[in-house]
Amino acid sequence: MIPINDFLVLSAILFSLGMYGVLARRSAVLILMSVELMLQAVSINFITFAVYLSPEQFTGVIFALFVITVAAAEVGLALAIILRLYRNKQTANVDEADIMKW
Amino acid sequence: MTYEEGIFYLVAAITVIGALGVVLARNIVHSALFLILSLLAVAGIFILLAAEFLAIVQVLIYGGAVTILILFAMMLTRVRETPAAVDGPQRPVAALAAAAFMATSILAVVSTEWPGNTEKINVISLDQIGRALFTTWAVPFEIASLVLIVALVGAIVLARGEEGE
Amino acid sequence: MQDAWLMPAIPGAAFVILLLFGKYLPRKGDWLSIAAMAASFVIFFPVLADLLDKVDTEGFTGGGKSWEWISFDTFTIRLGFFTDQITIVMLGVVSFVALMVQVYSVGYMKGDSRYGWYFTCMSLFAASMLTLVLADNLLLLYAGWEAVGFCSFLLIGFWWEKRSAAEAAKKAFITTRIGDVGFLIGIIMLWKQAGTFDISDIFQFAAAGGYDSTYLTAAVLFLFAGAVGKSGQFPLHVWLPDAMEGPTPVSALIHAATMVVAGVYMVARMFPLFQLADPVALDVVLGLGLTTVVLSATMGLVATDIKRVIAYSTLNSLGLMFVALGAGSTTGAMFYLFVHGFFKALLFLASGSVIHATDRQDINDLGGLAAKMPLTAAVFGIGTLSMIGIVPLSGFWAKDEILHSARDAESAIIYVIVLASVAVTALYMTRLYVRTFFFQPRDRQAREHAHDAPLLMSAPLLLLAALTLVSGFLVFDGVGEALGFPGGIGKFVFAEEAEAFKFSWEVALASTAVALGGLLAGFAIWQEDAQPAKRLGERFRPVYELLFHRYYVDEVYQWAINHIVLFAGSVLAWFDRNIVNDTGVDGSAGLTYLSGFQMKFLETGKLPNYALAISLGVIVIAILFLVLKA
Repeated sequence: MIPINDFLVLSAILFSLGMYGVLARRSAVLILMSVELMLQAVSINFITFAVYLSPEQFTGVIFALFVITVAAAEVGLALAIILRLYRNKQTANVDEADIMKW
Repeated sequence: MTYEEGIFYLVAAITVIGALGVVLARNIVHSALFLILSLLAVAGIFILLAAEFLAIVQVLIYGGAVTILILFAMMLTRVRETPAAVDGPQRPVAALAAAAFMATSILAVVSTEWPGNTEKINVISLDQIGRALFTTWAVPFEIASLVLIVALVGAIVLARGEEGE
Repeated sequence: MQDAWLMPAIPGAAFVILLLFGKYLPRKGDWLSIAAMAASFVIFFPVLADLLDKVDTEGFTGGGKSWEWISFDTFTIRLGFFTDQITIVMLGVVSFVALMVQVYSVGYMKGDSRYGWYFTCMSLFAASMLTLVLADNLLLLYAGWEAVGFCSFLLIGFWWEKRSAAEAAKKAFITTRIGDVGFLIGIIMLWKQAGTFDISDIFQFAAAGGYDSTYLTAAVLFLFAGAVGKSGQFPLHVWLPDAMEGPTPVSALIHAATMVVAGVYMVARMFPLFQLADPVALDVVLGLGLTTVVLSATMGLVATDIKRVIAYSTLNSLGLMFVALGAGSTTGAMFYLFVHGFFKALLFLASGSVIHATDRQDINDLGGLAAKMPLTAAVFGIGTLSMIGIVPLSGFWAKDEILHSARDAESAIIYVIVLASVAVTALYMTRLYVRTFFFQPRDRQAREHAHDAPLLMSAPLLLLAALTLVSGFLVFDGVGEALGFPGGIGKFVFAEEAEAFKFSWEVALASTAVALGGLLAGFAIWQEDAQPAKRLGERFRPVYELLFHRYYVDEVYQWAINHIVLFAGSVLAWFDRNIVNDTGVDGSAGLTYLSGFQMKFLETGKLPNYALAISLGVIVIAILFLVLKA
C-alpha cells in the first residue's frame, strides 16, 4: 500500500512548483496556469486526508469537488480580466499593470 | 515496493515533470501542453486515491474546459507575438522562496504524526458522495452553482468592454 | 415643601421655550417669562405655609424632595430641593424681586433690539438662582452658582457692542471664577471626607467630628472664597462696580438683590460648618467683610455714576452682612439680606427710571429732578433713607441687628468701624440723592424731557417702596406672630438657638445719631454748587485721588496681569508653540509623513512583488509554526 506521506509530499512539490511559477512568470496566462497547479496540489491534499484519515466524513472529497467548480469559475473570470488588461495595455504581462501605486 | 507503489511513483513523476514543464518552458504553448500532461497525471493520482469520480471530473473540466480556455486566452492576447522575457526579474528569489516552502511543507508532512491508519486507502463510493452532496452539502452545492453563474455573467461583462469601445 | 422644585422648574421651562421659539411668540415672549416668574412666586406661598406648619414640630431641620442622579457601584449622588428657614427667606426675596424686575423691564427694555433675548436670560437666571437657593446638595448648588454667574456674564455684556460692557462682562466672569475655583475646591474637600455632597449629611458628618478641625477650617475658607467672588468682597470686589454696564433692571436683580447675596446665603446655609471650624474661619469672614465695608463706603463718596454709587452701597451692604455672619449672627445677615433685596432693588430701579428719563448717568449732569419726577424722587428717597438706616424704615432694623452682633463681637473696634461706616453711608447716599434730585440741574436738556415712568414701571417701584417701609417690622415678635411665623425674624431664622429681638437705646441712638449726622453733613457739603465738597477735595487731594482710583486695586491687578499672568502666559505660549505644537504635534505628524514618504517606495505596484511578499510571509509563519510546535 502507498503510505499517506507519499501523496502529501507530491502535493507539497506540486504546490511549490506552482508557487515558483506564480512568482517567477510575467505573463498572466502563465501565472494562471501555475495557479491551476497549486489548486491541483490542494485537491490532492484534500482527497488524501479524506480517504486516509476520515473516510466517514470524506469532507475532503466534497471540498475537492468544490475546488474544481470554483477553479472553473476562476479561470473564466481570469480570462476575462486578462482580456481587459490586454485591451487596455496591449500586454498580458502583470508587472506592466502597475498604475495602482503611489 | 509493491506494484501499486510503482504505479504511484510513475504517475507522480509524470505529474512533477508536467509541472516543471509548465513553470520552466520558454515557449508558452509548450507550457500549456505540459499543463495538460500534468492535469491528466493528477487524474491518475486521483484514481490511485480511489476517487474515480473526481478523476473523471478532473479530466472533463481541467483537461477539457480549463485548458481550452487557457489556450483561448493565449490566442486572444497574442502572447507569442510579444516575446518579452517570459520570466520576471525576481526569478531567483522566487526559486528560493519556492524551495524554502517545499522544504518547510515536506518537513511538516514527515514530522507530523497523523491520527488514524496511514497505510490503508478507504474507498469512498460515488453513491456516498452523491448522497452527501444533496443532503449535508446541499446549500454549499447550490451556492456553488450561484458562484458559477455570477462568474459567467462577470466574465461576459468584463470581456465585452464598455459601450463604444 | 415637596413642590418647591416647581419654583425653579417653571422659569426653567420658560427659558427653554423662549430659547427655542422666542422669536415666533407674540411680543417676543416677555409675557411667558413674566407669567412663569409669577407662577413661581405664587408657589412660594404654599411652600411657606407648609414650612410654617412644620417648623414648630420638634427637631425640624427642613425638608424637600430628592432624586437619584448618578449611581456608581459604591455611592450615589442624589440631587434634590430642600427648604428650611434660611432658604425660605432667600426664596421670597428672589422670586418677588425677580417678578418686580421683569415687570419693570417691560417698560425699561422696550424697543431694545434684543428684547426677547433679555427675557430669555432673565428666565434662565431666575431658574438658576432658585436652583441655587433650593439645592439640597453642594453639586447642584455649585451648578446653580455657576449658572447665575453665566447669566450675570450674559446680562452685564447685554449691550456687548459697547466695548466697556463687553470688558465688564469679561471682568465679572473671570473675577468671580477665581472665587469659584476656591468654592469648588472646598466642595471637593468636604466631599472627599464625608463621601456625600448632601448638605444635611455633611452637617451630620461634621457634627459627629468626621472632619479634622484644620481640614474643616481650610474647607470652609475655600467655600468662603466662592462667596468672596460672588458677593464682591475685598479683594475680589472689583467686578461689581463695572458690572453696572448692564441694563439697570439687571443691576437691580442680579447685582443687588439676588446673585451677589448668594455668597451671604451660602455662608449662612453652611454656617454649622463655619461654627465647627476653627474660629479663624469666622474671623476671616468678619475681617474681609469689614474691609469691604470701609473700602466701599469711602469709594462711594467720590464715584459720580449714579449706578456705581449704588453699586458701592451694595458692596457696603454685603460687607455688613458678612460682618454679621462673622460675628456669628445668621439672623442679622439674613434679615439684612431680606430687606436689602427690597430697598436696593428699589434704588436701582428708581435710578433706572432716572436714566430712562434723562439718558444721563453721571450725577454731575443731573440735578433738580425732584420737581419733574416726584414719584421717582419719593421712592428713591425711601430707598436712600432705608440704606442710611433711618427709623422706622426696614434698613434701620436690619442694620440695628448687625450693630448688635458687631457690638457683641470680641472687639470694640469692629463696632466703632461699623458705626463709622453708617455715617459714611449716610454721607454718600445723601450726596447721591441731593445731586440727583435737588437744586439746579447741571444739564438742562436732560431735565427738559424728564418725567415719571409709566405705570408698568412705577408699580414695581411702589410695591418695593411699600415693602421697604414695612418689611423691617418683621423683627418684632408681634408682627411675626400675626403673619403666622413663630415670632420675629430672630425666632425664625437662626443658627443655633432662637434669638430674641434685641433692642437697646444705646445702639439705636448711636446709629441714628451718626446716620443723621451723615445726612446733615451730606446736605451741608453737597449744597447748590457743592463748593464745600470741592474745597475738601482740593484740601485732601491725595485722599481724593486714592478714593477716585478705587484704592488702586484695579491698577494692582492690571499690573499683576501684565507682569505676572501675561509673562507666565508668554512662557506657556512659547512652550505650547515650540514644544507641544512644533515638536509634539507637528513633529509626530512630520515623522509619520516622512516615514510614509520613505515607505511608499516599497509599494512598487507590481503584482509579482506583492505575491512574493505574501509567499515569504506564509513561509515565515509556517517556519514559526514548526519551530514552536517542536
